[in-house]
Amino acid sequence: MMSLIKHEIKIDESFYKVEEIRQLTRETFSLILPKARFAFKAGQHISLGIYGDYQSREYSIYSGIKDDHLEVLVKEVNNGYFTPKLRKLKVGDLVEIHGPFGNFGMEPKATETGKFVFIASGTGIAPFRSIARTYPEIDYALIHGVRYTTEAYDRNEYPGDRYILCSSRDTKGTYHGRLTGYLKNCTFAAETQFYLCGNSDMIFDALEILKEMGFERDQIHCEVYF
Amino acid sequence: MSKNKSPHTDSLSPLSGRGLGEASGEAVGLRVAFKTLGCRLNQYETDALVTDFDKAGYQLVSFDESPDVVVVNTCTVTNQSDQKSRTVISQAARKNKDAVVVVTGCMANNFKEKLESQDNITFVVENNRKSSVLALVDAHFSGEILHPNQLPQDVFRYEPVQKSLHTRSAVKIQDGCDNFCTFCIIPMVRGRAVSRPVADVLESVRKTIENGFKEIVITGVNIGRYEDGETRFEDLLVKILDVPGDFRVRISSLEPDGFGDRFVELFSHPKLMPHLHLCLQSGSEKTLLRMRRMYDVGQFRKTIHQFRSFYPEFNFTTDIIVGFPGETEEEFHQTIEAVKEFNFSHVHTFKYSVRKGTRAERLENHVPEKIKTARSLQIRELSEENKLRYYQSLLGKIQNVLVEKATKTKASGYGDLYVPVEFQGKDIQKNTVHTIKLTGFSGEGERLVLVGELVGLCV
Ligand SMILES: Cc1cc2nc3c(=O)[nH]c(=O)nc-3n(C[C@H](O)[C@H](O)[C@H](O)COP(=O)(O)OP(=O)(O)OC[C@H]3O[C@@H](n4cnc5c(N)ncnc54)[C@H](O)[C@@H]3O)c2cc1C
Repeated sequence: MMSLIKHEIKIDESFYKVEEIRQLTRETFSLILPKARFAFKAGQHISLGIYGDYQSREYSIYSGIKDDHLEVLVKEVNNGYFTPKLRKLKVGDLVEIHGPFGNFGMEPKATETGKFVFIASGTGIAPFRSIARTYPEIDYALIHGVRYTTEAYDRNEYPGDRYILCSSRDTKGTYHGRLTGYLKNCTFAAETQFYLCGNSDMIFDALEILKEMGFERDQIHCEVYF
Repeated sequence: MSKNKSPHTDSLSPLSGRGLGEASGEAVGLRVAFKTLGCRLNQYETDALVTDFDKAGYQLVSFDESPDVVVVNTCTVTNQSDQKSRTVISQAARKNKDAVVVVTGCMANNFKEKLESQDNITFVVENNRKSSVLALVDAHFSGEILHPNQLPQDVFRYEPVQKSLHTRSAVKIQDGCDNFCTFCIIPMVRGRAVSRPVADVLESVRKTIENGFKEIVITGVNIGRYEDGETRFEDLLVKILDVPGDFRVRISSLEPDGFGDRFVELFSHPKLMPHLHLCLQSGSEKTLLRMRRMYDVGQFRKTIHQFRSFYPEFNFTTDIIVGFPGETEEEFHQTIEAVKEFNFSHVHTFKYSVRKGTRAERLENHVPEKIKTARSLQIRELSEENKLRYYQSLLGKIQNVLVEKATKTKASGYGDLYVPVEFQGKDIQKNTVHTIKLTGFSGEGERLVLVGELVGLCV
């Protein structure tokens, strides 16, 4: 049985047509692709290429495992190589997907009883949306750090009491300031599992805070974007 | 296999003029030379190919002895390895203008098209088809036109290695890696993590022991992530240790994530040798995050303590990358402190080298070469100090040494702790294990060797 499941998530190098593009902010958009045979675990990422271009980049999967489509969330990076090209894609263009990759995420069984805190900066929210959509019953709090509250991508999908928006450059979030400022004043149950995703500086600072609070490193899982 | 063949324990091709066995196939008279660059896995794969060619009746020669076939098993882990691989390929081709030149290994994956366009190379064979190099060469000599792409893809099809090559043999249990550390090209050239089925591994272990090996090294790209159905790395290790026979087991390099107490306890098994090459890469938490490593220094420390509380002399060696993009003086200093604290008896130091297509290539604040060189030197000096201190701590202790080299009066090999030991003794045979009391040193720096007295013969 086990090997059957593994076989399903085997590497799949294939081209997918962009079905839809959702513009979320001026810089950030999501690409919606057919799901086809693509099987993955919530929290995993893919490597995305553009037809005819030799480069590729990693993107966390933004959709849930039972969704009809595969979706990724992309922020266009100024002077970046790849994201400006992704930005130019139109419906019907081909992208190449490798994967899924990575062990970021939890065993389905753990979602039934565990307590989770998700900490994301910017587009680092992507794997958590996948997890929240995959396991609607999961007990979590999502702390999302952004500059402006407009970057609270798809915030309406998260129950209000689970989503904490920390905005450093405007005051319309749950908390005004960096997410690490918010984190410092939190208390969490001892058995909480923490998942951190985004840039390495945020992850470093959050890790320090959590370790200082007495949490073991084994309870803290990290996905570093850059 | 006849008994008096010369083993070669480095990565050079076998010594001149000595075939590896009775020529049996159609290849009688054909001569093949090998050159291996890079890691232990590559060396194992070459050894298996050597075994294949030997069985098929090819004669093993060195590059200088007009081989008909030259196989270069390349490495691409750093710029330096690319450079070395290129040099070896051109030397091999220049010296042997009429030979069939086969280039395989990680560089063949990373620079396939470029290598294929070179006139001095006959065949470029990617890693996943490497195990079929003999079929390709045989086909060539029998006039059949076979393209490397037609070879079967199988990263585990290797024959157990013949005894004449080394004193210890690797057994490959796994290939590829899914970790995607930002500096590393390996996932691109070795592919995704795949595990060899348990039954195949055990069969390979049994055959390797039947072939006369007293020591096997469990090898792969990221062996800690071994997973075949319900069998994880520790479970596989137990099964390997349970294989009957008189042999010892070593683990090649290991990623320092995800061990439990059970793994530590396994080292109380007399067959499992108390040494691990645990790749720390950096002592700075920030650098480790930028590298996308899966552990932090605290977890690494915990692992080291766990082992040393059970086995105080346990030998740890490691890899360190210096000058990773953004590495500040402070971050480097943390690495220095970690190397001191963890008392690695050897540090394999790499200056960070940009690999095209990796995430680290695009990180900011690349460190100037001069600083990398200076940092690398500092770590090397520290490594030598650590080694001396560690070896000093072993004086008066006993090691069981598997003899790799022997003259009429002297022998040398590695002790249980994977420390090099020399001792005096008359007509000591290679591939025998001797109990040695450690009494002093010879050599210095990286070449420091323990010297001891023969106490008894084990096997
Ligand atoms: C496992 C993994 C999952 C990822 N998932 C996502 C995702 O879901 N969505 C996403 O937008 N990106 C994600 N990234 C980052 C992504 O792979 C690219 O690095 C990013 O899209 C920039 O590519 P680029 O070629 O335009 O810029 P590059 O030329 O590669 O990078 C230029 C610089 O941009 C900055 N940068 C990189 N990524 C971001 C980002 N997301 N936000 C702000 N600044 C950034 C860094 O400082 C980087 O050095 C992920 C990375 C990893 C390793």
